[in-house]
Amino acid sequence: MKTLFAFIRRNVKLFFKDKGMFFTSLITPLILLVLYATFLSNVYKDSFASALPDGFTIPDTLLNGAVASQMISALLAVCCVTIAFCANLLMIGDKASGSIRDFTVSPVRKSVMALGYYVSSAVTTLTVTFTALVLCFIYLAFQGWYLTFADVLLVVLDVLLLTLFGTALSSCINFFLFTNGQASAVGTIVSAGYGFLCGAYMPISSFPESLQNVLKYLPGTYGTSLLRNHMMQGVFAEMESIGFPAEVMVGIKDGIDCNLYFGETAVSMTMMGVIMAGSILLFTGIFVAFNMFIKQKGK
Amino acid sequence: MEKIIEIEHLNKSYGDIHAVNDLSFCVKKGEFFSFLGVNGAGKSTTISMICGQLEKDSGKITICGMDCETHIEEISRKIGVVFQNSALDAPLSVKDNLKSRAALYGICGKDFENRLAELAELLDFSNLLSRPFGKLSGGQKRRIDIARALIHNPEILILDEPTTGLDPQTRKNLWDVIGQLRKEKQMTVFLTTHYMEETADADYIVILDSGKIVAEGTPLQLKNTYAGDYITLYGADEKDIAKLGYPYEKIRDAVCISVPDTKAATGLIVTHPELFSDYEIIKGKMDDVFLAVTGKKLGGGGDR
Repeated sequence: MKTLFAFIRRNVKLFFKDKGMFFTSLITPLILLVLYATFLSNVYKDSFASALPDGFTIPDTLLNGAVASQMISALLAVCCVTIAFCANLLMIGDKASGSIRDFTVSPVRKSVMALGYYVSSAVTTLTVTFTALVLCFIYLAFQGWYLTFADVLLVVLDVLLLTLFGTALSSCINFFLFTNGQASAVGTIVSAGYGFLCGAYMPISSFPESLQNVLKYLPGTYGTSLLRNHMMQGVFAEMESIGFPAEVMVGIKDGIDCNLYFGETAVSMTMMGVIMAGSILLFTGIFVAFNMFIKQKGK
Repeated sequence: MEKIIEIEHLNKSYGDIHAVNDLSFCVKKGEFFSFLGVNGAGKSTTISMICGQLEKDSGKITICGMDCETHIEEISRKIGVVFQNSALDAPLSVKDNLKSRAALYGICGKDFENRLAELAELLDFSNLLSRPFGKLSGGQKRRIDIARALIHNPEILILDEPTTGLDPQTRKNLWDVIGQLRKEKQMTVFLTTHYMEETADADYIVILDSGKIVAEGTPLQLKNTYAGDYITLYGADEKDIAKLGYPYEKIRDAVCISVPDTKAATGLIVTHPELFSDYEIIKGKMDDVFLAVTGKKLGGGGDR
């Protein structure tokens, strides 16, 4: 256990010593927030307002709160995974620099090393994603705050789940990378593609049905929906309290992926949480197994 | 003396390239063992297999009486490795680096502090503990690399081309430290190098070429077998030397005669005492041995 903690401490220290990596990770969510607020906020507002049935009006604060909640849930869902890929660069850096030989000549078990890399990546990613979450909450407070204390706790839990999921996924993929160039290429692909695949940039409901059916097999889709549901619970409660009919609420929730259906069955939030937890365990297990059973060059 | 490393019929191939070809040798406890060869001879591949970093194709590696295949965890506690390129973390301080590596062997807290103090005194780096490893000079880095290799008090110190890229003074300092370790701790030292002069003090040398052993023995045995002697003769007439029938070379104030061995040198002196009033006999160098057994020249190292 002491060995594991020492290895984690070394990895975390190295991440924070690399000021470039740390600050780049930290400002990524901030830049995304500014870009979302600047370029997409009005598009989302118009889209939301036009989707309401004739004769319905929505208070500005509620509209702003709804749009902001939708945006920041998308932003956090993407950041939890893309930042995990960035934090996980340390594992590739160790292979590229040859530092890993110093660990593989020691009696430390490969499973311990795998867990060490996983936990340290999770810790560093969580530092950044929780900072991003605080920034998002501040933004939300200015736009329209409808969250209860319970909602806040659930959102924190969702960010934790998504971060652990992102860390496990990136660990499995990065296991097969050996150079910083490969890591950079994969990071670029993930940053560009993951937002679409998990329904963060565009609601999955707006995609063709065949694509929707494929995306519903990806666990990230449920993570994004879970976070969006918890982030928007207060907004939905306020809409219901001012008289939004049930069918309008269902339409809104369907339209922004708060309701997800696997076949004809609606996926509950509890099930979404179970899918995420199961995915974390599965990918972490796969990563540990990779380390234990696959011999790599230089390992 | 007890055998501490035994290699039997070791083989390793990368595709068509036979990097290590039926290699067998042993290293005795407390010995300074030198593994000599040009780049690509198979030295680092062999080291990687000894350290459990690389899987062998066939053969057997036994270290401290344990099979490398089944006891690699125990064996890794017995060996300390100084890699050709440092594997420590440049941004972390010397102390943080050594602390994280000591923990790999379960050395923490007070035990680590005590070991650190011992090594800092032995290798003289107390003043470097708080400095980032990446900011140290080449020689300072090498001392810390050795400290890392010794952090768990291993029985065998493996040095994989430790002086490549270092200046002569730093190389000398490094060898002083290793000499001190051998003297004080009776440590087994396994050196791979392509610097000939570094093998001069070795107890036993194995010369490797294209993955095979081409010669082995003590430096004296190798020199006697594969290299001749040189007689440097001062104040002699070149015409008289030419009549001796041995190849010679005119140098500034003398003539250097190449003879097959010391016996031939003695014969010349006895037969022509009038010529040998001021002379010296020098055994061949390891470069000559290497050239004779492999037909290749190695990069020369500075004197130490």
